[in-house]
Amino acid sequence: MRPAAVAATATATAAALRLRTAGASLSAPPAALLTPRRAALLLLPLRRLCSPALPHASAAPDSQPPPRLPSPIMDAQFESFRAQLDESSTLRDRIRAVVSEVESASRVATAALLLVHQPVPLEDVLGKAKAQVEVIKGLYAQLAEVLKECPGQYYRYHGDWKAETQAVVSMLAFMHWLETGGLLMHAEAQEKLGLSSGEFSLDVEDYLTGLCFMSNEFVRSSTHQTKYSSYDFILCK
Amino acid sequence: MATDAAVAADPPASKGCPAMKAEFAKHAEYLNALNDKRERLVKASRDITMNSKKVIFQVHRISKVNKEEVLSKAENDLAAVVNQNIGKLVKELQGTDFWKLRRAYTFGVQEYVEAATLCRFCRTGTLLSLVEINDSLLALSDKSVEPLQLNVLDYVLGVADLSGELMRLAIGRISDGEVEYAKKICAFVRDIYRELTLVVPLMDDNSEMKKKMEVMLQSVVKIENACFNVHVRGSEYIPLLGSSADPDYSFFGASDFDQ
Repeated sequence: MRPAAVAATATATAAALRLRTAGASLSAPPAALLTPRRAALLLLPLRRLCSPALPHASAAPDSQPPPRLPSPIMDAQFESFRAQLDESSTLRDRIRAVVSEVESASRVATAALLLVHQPVPLEDVLGKAKAQVEVIKGLYAQLAEVLKECPGQYYRYHGDWKAETQAVVSMLAFMHWLETGGLLMHAEAQEKLGLSSGEFSLDVEDYLTGLCFMSNEFVRSSTHQTKYSSYDFILCK
Repeated sequence: MATDAAVAADPPASKGCPAMKAEFAKHAEYLNALNDKRERLVKASRDITMNSKKVIFQVHRISKVNKEEVLSKAENDLAAVVNQNIGKLVKELQGTDFWKLRRAYTFGVQEYVEAATLCRFCRTGTLLSLVEINDSLLALSDKSVEPLQLNVLDYVLGVADLSGELMRLAIGRISDGEVEYAKKICAFVRDIYRELTLVVPLMDDNSEMKKKMEVMLQSVVKIENACFNVHVRGSEYIPLLGSSADPDYSFFGASDFDQ
C-alpha cells in the first residue's frame, strides 16, 4: 500500500482534495467512515505536502488568524540580529586578547612585589613593578580604544576584565603602600592606569575589591617582618 | 631594607586621616544609591512580570466565539503594563545603567516581550519585531530622559519563552477542534526555532538560552505530535467536534473497527 501511495503522488493529490473535503463535511454516516480513514492513512505523507496548498480546504471557523505571511520579514529581523551579535562577539574576542596581556603583565608585577618578603632593597622591587605598570597602562589605553566603537556598553563587557582589574588594583595599592605608607585612593588608581578621563573608567566596586585583596599581602608581610625583627614596620600598618 | 621607607614617611593611614574617611564615605554613599536603584528596578521588574503573565492568561482564554473581546482586553492590559510598569523602568535607567543593571530588570522585560508577541500572533499570525516594540516604547519618555530600548538579548530570550505559550495555545485549540489554527501555530513555532538555532551560538553568555532552546524543541515536538495524532485518528471525529454548531454525540462509545 505505502509504496504505491508514494508513487501515485500526482494522481492521488486530487483524490486527497476530494476526500479531505468529504472528511470535513458534516454528518458522515458511520459506514462511510471506513473509506476516509483508510484514505487518511494512505494519504498521510501526501497530506503533509498538500496542506500548505490547502489553507481554506477545511470548513474553517472564524477564529483563525489570517493566512500567515511568508516569513521574509522574520528572516530579515533575525538576519540583522545575527549580524549584530556577530559584531559583538568579535569585539569580545579583541577585548579578551588585550585582557589576557593585562593579566600576564600584572602577574609579573605581583611576582616582583613578592620580593618584598625577602631582604631585597625596596627600589629594586619597585623598579620592576613600575615597568610593568607602564605596560598595563598602555594595555588599558588599547582597551579603551576598542570600547570606543560601542559607546555606552562598558558594562556589557565589564565581566571580561573585572577579575584582572581587581588584581591590578590590588598590586597597585600594595606598591603605593610600600612607597608611601598611605592608601591608594580611587582617583589616584585611575591616574596610574591612565583612565581618569573618557568613558572607560575604573569601576568603584573593582577598586574596592582590589583593596580587599591587597590586605592579604599584609598578613604575609607581618609574619616575615617579625622574622626580621622589624616591629616598627608591622605596627605602622 | 624595606622598612625604612615605610617608617620614614609618616603613614597617614594609621591615624585614620579625615581624607580617607571622607573618601570612603563617598564610596559608601555611591554603593548605597546603586543598591537602592537596583532594588527599585527589581520591584518594577516583578510588577511587569506579574502583569504580563496576567495578559498571557487572558489570551489563553481565547476561543472561536470570543476572540475579539479577549484580544482587545489583552491589548488594553498590555498597554497598561507599558504605561505604568515599564514607565517606572524608564525613570530609573539612565546612561550606563542599561547594561550595568540589566540583571535586575531583564526578567520583567522578557515576560513583557513574551506577552506582546503572543498578542500580536493571535491578532495577525506574525511575529512582533524588536524594532516595533522599541518604537512603541519611545512614546514613554520625553526629550529629557533617555528612552528605554530593549536589546537583542532580552528580545530573543522573550521569544524563546513564547514558544511554550504557543504550545499551550495549540493544544487548547486542538481540543476545541480548531486544527487548522494549531497547524499554523506549529509552522510558526518551527520557523522561530529554526531562526533561533542560528542566533543562539552568537549570544553573550548563552547558557540560559541553550536551556530555553531545549525546552523550545520539546514544545515544537509536542505541537507536532498533537497535530499528527489529530490527523491520523481524528479525521473520523473532526466532523463531530467543532465544525458544526451542534456536536453529534451519538458516535461516542461506537467501537473503532472496520465494518
